[in-house]
Amino acid sequence: MGGLAARLELSYETLEDLQLALESVLEQDGYVRGDRVTVRLLVGDESVVLEVGPLDPAQLPADLGHPVAEGISLARLLSTLVDEVSLEERDGAHLLRLEKRASLARPETREPA
Amino acid sequence: MTEPGGAGDRELLLRYHESGDLEARQQLIERYLPLVRSLARRYANRGEQLEDLVQVGSIGLIKAIDRFDVERGVELTTYAAPNIIGEIKRHFRDKGWSIRVPRGLQELNVRLSQLLERLTVELERSPTIPELAEAAGVTEEEVLEALESGQAYSTVSLSAPSGPGEDGELDPLEALGELEHEYEVSEDRAVLAPGLDVLDERERRIIHMRFWEGLTQSQIAARIGISQMHVSRLIRRALEKVRDEIGAGKPSG
Repeated sequence: MGGLAARLELSYETLEDLQLALESVLEQDGYVRGDRVTVRLLVGDESVVLEVGPLDPAQLPADLGHPVAEGISLARLLSTLVDEVSLEERDGAHLLRLEKRASLARPETREPA
Repeated sequence: MTEPGGAGDRELLLRYHESGDLEARQQLIERYLPLVRSLARRYANRGEQLEDLVQVGSIGLIKAIDRFDVERGVELTTYAAPNIIGEIKRHFRDKGWSIRVPRGLQELNVRLSQLLERLTVELERSPTIPELAEAAGVTEEEVLEALESGQAYSTVSLSAPSGPGEDGELDPLEALGELEHEYEVSEDRAVLAPGLDVLDERERRIIHMRFWEGLTQSQIAARIGISQMHVSRLIRRALEKVRDEIGAGKPSG
């Protein structure tokens, strides 16, 4: 992710937040369904999106995106680290979609697509 | 095995120091090994095996026995404990990086930490990787490698025990960067939310500022007077501790 962040000129803090969000999901037992996980990084004009899956929706906290638990829940972590959290079902697999709005630090220096 | 302390210690110490009785020295070492183990346990789970720390602590014990002045009228226990802890702390300081990281990368990591502070102020935003690379005069790949290697430091004691130790030594990371100075304990304590009770006060406060008050790493760094990279390491370490504490690792959700 670091290499992509460098190429996209994401700020250090944005990179840190995305890495920590991803770690928070992957480092806990039970969230990932199966023994393989796919992480996709989608780059938009004003945001980057991390898609992680397949996950087990039954294991994920119900308050994703709007933390209500008092403790340091996954929902609280993600809602701080990224701007939008959603769970999507695609081809029978559940993917966690983490969107981080990140105006690129130096857009004027980027080459036109 | 005979318990440490008291007249038995004194007799063995006299035999060793006055008659050079190595058997007495060996008996003292064996008596005090449980103390070494107990102290080493406090520093375990920070990237070092308990048995390795016991070995290191044993060196401190042997030094204490060898240097002990039987005329001073203090118990060996009183003298040995800070020596054992001091040796363990020195071990962490000397071997602060939990995996072998080339010295050049360690130095670059420290330099990037300082550049990150400077550029954040100059640019009034968090710098990008290319900007850090340019400022450091290295490639982007080197910056990324150094940043990643910095995570290897996260297992080192950052704050527990915090501040100067019994022997006046600072924790490794507190001595690492010039910008890092003593965290001032605030009366405004972070809430003790479930799972956070495993954290020390500074970790709890940082976690609270980040995930409840919504402050960024750089804002937290400015508020408590440590570097942004140090904040990053403390957050990661704190979350690891919380994960470890909460059952199978899944936070209450």
